[in-house]
Amino acid sequence: MNSKHIACGIIALLILALIQLTLWAQNNRIKVQREAADAQMAEEDASTQLLREQSQLSDLRRQSADLIEFLRIWQPYFLTIDNPQSAEVNMSMRVKDANLLSLSQRFETAPVNGNASIPSSVKALLTFEDDYVRLMNWLGQIEVQMPTIRTSSIRLSKGTRASDLRMEVTLEQPMLKQ
Amino acid sequence: MQISDRQIDDFKTDRKDITPPLPVVLRLVPILFYCSIAVAIILSSIFFIQFRLAIKKRDDHRAQAAALAAQTQQSKNERAALEAQIKKATDIQSWVSGSRPIQPLLVEITRSMDPKSSILDLRLDRGIDDPTQIQMGLKIGADSNKQLDLTLSRISSMNFRAFSPSQTLGRGILDFKATLVRKLPQNNTSAGETEGTVQ
Repeated sequence: MNSKHIACGIIALLILALIQLTLWAQNNRIKVQREAADAQMAEEDASTQLLREQSQLSDLRRQSADLIEFLRIWQPYFLTIDNPQSAEVNMSMRVKDANLLSLSQRFETAPVNGNASIPSSVKALLTFEDDYVRLMNWLGQIEVQMPTIRTSSIRLSKGTRASDLRMEVTLEQPMLKQ
Repeated sequence: MQISDRQIDDFKTDRKDITPPLPVVLRLVPILFYCSIAVAIILSSIFFIQFRLAIKKRDDHRAQAAALAAQTQQSKNERAALEAQIKKATDIQSWVSGSRPIQPLLVEITRSMDPKSSILDLRLDRGIDDPTQIQMGLKIGADSNKQLDLTLSRISSMNFRAFSPSQTLGRGILDFKATLVRKLPQNNTSAGETEGTVQ
């Protein structure tokens, strides 16, 4: 082997290096193009998922429009009295303002079963002995002015005086979960 | 003195033979080298351009996918919030439907009493499991069922129906028990129903 052969070998090696370099560039291009294709598929998937999610949200909004409107109307009534202390004070004041003959007043907090949004209520156990009309009007006003109150139990019987009526009533003030 | 060419040649030392020429095939190697340089430059340039375009495309798709994923997450959050609102609304509706004013019914029952009859004891209790149902216990001072029929008709006019009725009559006292259920439940209850004012 002489110097010409060595020179030829070196040039051949250079040619191989150039081929290798070109192949490397091509591989890089293919790799990035594959990544771009994957990214495009991911984008299409994300787009499909977004459309599905928006469709579900839209359906849910349409189906629940009445309920949400109901909530919008009623929630302020539930938020006016949001703790047991204010419920007791409010009820006591209403009894006092009505000037009814109250035999007993008792308040207790009780759990509400099967209602996650209203976990508890304040029960007012009240006993009156007064005129029938005054008692009925008071109860009617309470139920209208405080529409969230639930009259869970009521008992009417004769009072000690002939014109009086004894009314034992249990009123529940719901405590809406904040 | 003239020296002939032949004689000069004769003075030269014998030159060693230079390397033998390459075979014809190997003479193509330099040509191939130049061609490969040109082809490598052209192809690499094309690949580089495509590489840059692909990177831009990939980054654009990734950015777009990230934006879509963020929108999807936002939509999911909105849906979760809406579902929470729906649950709350359902719970409130459940409470409200079991909290309809009971006073009008009470007044109607008391007004149904004939002058000859009197209420000895009247009890209305909402059901524990279903507060829309009302357990009624009524003791009337009456000698016949006529008063009870009248009371039940007035209860019926209030859109209540008496289920599981039971009654006992003895010593001028009629003891009646029943479960009152609304005939047509109204879901769209409005806040503040008409007050039953008694005069």
